[in-house]
Amino acid sequence: MSGPILSVEGLGMRFGGFRALHGVTASFPARMLTSVIGPNGAGKSTFFNLISGAFAPSEGRIAFEGRDITGTPQHRFAALGIAKSFQITNVFPALTALENVRIAAQALVSRHDVWRRRDELPGLAEEARSLLEEVGLTHRAGAPAGSLAHGEQRSLEIAMALASRPRLLLLDEPTAGMSPKETVVAMELIRRLARERTVILVEHKMKLVMGISDRLLVLHHGELLAEGAPEEIRAHPEVRRVYLGERA
Amino acid sequence: MRAVADWFFRHPVLGAGFFILILPFITPYTALAVMILVYGLYALGFNIMYGHVGLLSFGHSALLGGGAYACGIALVHLGLPWGACILAGTLAGTLIAFVMGALAVRTRGIYFAMVTLALSQVAYFGFYQAEPWTGGENGLRGVNLRTLGIPGLSLDFTTPAVRYTVIGLLVWGAVALLARILASPFGAAMLAVRENEARAKACGFDVRLVRLQAMTLSGAFCGLAGALLALHLSIVPIETLHYTTSGVAVMMAILGGSNTFFGPFVGAAVFLFLESVVSTRTEHWPLVVGVVFVLFILLARQGIWGTLVARLR
Amino acid sequence: MTILGFPPDLLVLQAFTGLALGAVYVLLAVGLSLIFGMLTVVNFAHGAFFMLGAYAGVFLLAAGGNFWVCLVGVPLLVGAVGLFVERFLVRRLYGRHIDDPLLLTFGLTYVFVELVRIGWGKQALPFDAPEILQGTVDIGIGYFPLYRLFVIGVTAAVLLGLWLFIERTRYGLIIRAGARDPTIVRVLGVDVGRVWLLVFGLGTGLAGLAGVLAAPLQGVSPEMGTTVLAEAFVVTVVGGMGSLVGGIVAGLLVGVTVAMSALLLPEMSKVAMFLLMAVVLLLRPQGLFGRAGLMS
Repeated sequence: MSGPILSVEGLGMRFGGFRALHGVTASFPARMLTSVIGPNGAGKSTFFNLISGAFAPSEGRIAFEGRDITGTPQHRFAALGIAKSFQITNVFPALTALENVRIAAQALVSRHDVWRRRDELPGLAEEARSLLEEVGLTHRAGAPAGSLAHGEQRSLEIAMALASRPRLLLLDEPTAGMSPKETVVAMELIRRLARERTVILVEHKMKLVMGISDRLLVLHHGELLAEGAPEEIRAHPEVRRVYLGERA
Repeated sequence: MRAVADWFFRHPVLGAGFFILILPFITPYTALAVMILVYGLYALGFNIMYGHVGLLSFGHSALLGGGAYACGIALVHLGLPWGACILAGTLAGTLIAFVMGALAVRTRGIYFAMVTLALSQVAYFGFYQAEPWTGGENGLRGVNLRTLGIPGLSLDFTTPAVRYTVIGLLVWGAVALLARILASPFGAAMLAVRENEARAKACGFDVRLVRLQAMTLSGAFCGLAGALLALHLSIVPIETLHYTTSGVAVMMAILGGSNTFFGPFVGAAVFLFLESVVSTRTEHWPLVVGVVFVLFILLARQGIWGTLVARLR
Repeated sequence: MTILGFPPDLLVLQAFTGLALGAVYVLLAVGLSLIFGMLTVVNFAHGAFFMLGAYAGVFLLAAGGNFWVCLVGVPLLVGAVGLFVERFLVRRLYGRHIDDPLLLTFGLTYVFVELVRIGWGKQALPFDAPEILQGTVDIGIGYFPLYRLFVIGVTAAVLLGLWLFIERTRYGLIIRAGARDPTIVRVLGVDVGRVWLLVFGLGTGLAGLAGVLAAPLQGVSPEMGTTVLAEAFVVTVVGGMGSLVGGIVAGLLVGVTVAMSALLLPEMSKVAMFLLMAVVLLLRPQGLFGRAGLMS
């Protein structure tokens, strides 16, 4: 096993007087699917927003491939090799599905060039098509992204995230709002994606991720409660109490 | 009809050239056609921000006016050749846009309109007070360009046909350049920022930088329009800098259709044509244009050209 | 003793003049902020409502009223125009892009200004303060125009009333909740439409009051709202959009800045407030009292 691709140390976040996350130290091994779970208000979203660069942490450090990336602006993450999908579906609604992915792919090679024509940039359209194929959206390539079904938009988002060829893929509740059938397909896709890269999945529903995760991290009240393989987590008394307590 | 429309949409540059070619024959007098060219360019430049990046600016008067004054000052006070004067205007628009943009892109959304409006007032008062150079309240007079020296040729700029041809060629060149820029990788960056700021960031676009770059570009086009305006009018009225002139660009872009490339140009043509017709009948043109604009906002948000495009495509 | 070449009492007096100017800004900014905080509408016609306030005063005086009638009647008249505008025009645009109501009210400024030109002509009109408020009064450090003092007093009274309204009434509760989170109001089971209507009327009424209060200071003309709009925007940006406290503090700050720069750096007086805004944007883009979240 290689070293961790991402590690966080003493990570914490305050919003005014509210401490959403505190003292989380953890590392994520490369080429594994790690799920971060926890009940509502456990600090999952905050954790996701910190490791994906949406906020700068108020305390602690984040390292990616051994390099300190704490406070790096969000727009640099794609170039670093970290991509994310949002909890709320987030596409370019007026553009076609293909154009969505094409722009995402372009962002990695050219952003401020006004002199060339963008259809002269080599390989982007092909790459966008193959990414759409990978997430099963080839037949919707020409449809405006805003007109796609909810599940399709989520898949499109994943294709856009993949367009930056990330070594680390961050997914925030990727199946939120999906039908049971869509969920199965999406989980299948995520498992497949995790074969070739590191995936960190933030999820509310514990059951959903038990089967596909290599490792789990459990957050509770903004702190790290437990981490380990799925079996260990399932047997963990504290985790059981927290989750059973929530159910009751 | 559909085929014609399709051709037009697929070849916006040729379409614009065709439009510029026939414009003097469908307007009652050439001076109006020149005004349509100049304000059309101004509205297109404004729409880089509004239509293509999704930020409403009320500060573009400073870009048009700054360009006009710089061109006028270069001609009147410095006696520079006409090409240098136009370049000076373009650069002035670019520079003012950069400074204004650097401050305004720190804010987002609805703030942008308020901040740019306020900043344009700085330009207004600044030029107002720099009377020795700008003529202050009376505007900059005597921007008289009589002959255009082109190597091997001397043209009489006071002849309407010459004036229209020269300005028409420059505007057409600018339109072609703009179309090209929109088709560039940066054009896609603008699109991404307009469509979804958070997603654009996640894709790797530096949203603030894209906005600042777009604003600066917008300044170049509006500055050029300002320079041409100064040469055409032979005077730069101080009102050019007032934020109500920004409002004119807003109205033109929306009347024509801010979601299309050519809409603002069409809007400028309709606006100026209507103004020339209405003003001869009543002095209450502002009332007419205000009501028309309100109706467009309520009922025809796509604008004239936008509606046509949607119908014919 | 002098400070920057001026005797200290003169500086204090000038600062006081700034407060009177600032009081007008405060009324404008509070109205603008109320409307934005509740409806997320930037009322571009705010300057035009200010101008309408002054002309409503002219109208009431011509109809036989006196200045005191104007103080009560003008906000009611202008507020009524505001109610009409919200109910029949702005309301159609909720749910559309946030720029659309701004654009609509921008178009309305042309309509209002031109209608006033048709009704009262293009010339500026004089507007005198009532005799009892003319002259100066000794405020300890020197003589100060009584009318300016009166403007400060009226503004303070209005703010006090507004504070009581917002803190102590049911509508006020809804407004406070709505400014924090517009969706909450719907959950409370209130007729949101009526609250919006009321807030728009209140905000525009305050602009009208500002207009009639400013009339004796600067005269009355159809264009008087144009410059004021830019100034109100500056105050709002400095204070933070949607923040009433921000509007009050920034209004006074901008007023004093303008007055002091007129004394100390006369050639900079026109742009001083804009420079202040630029500094605020550089240091605190969301405004002195603004929350970062409100900016999107």
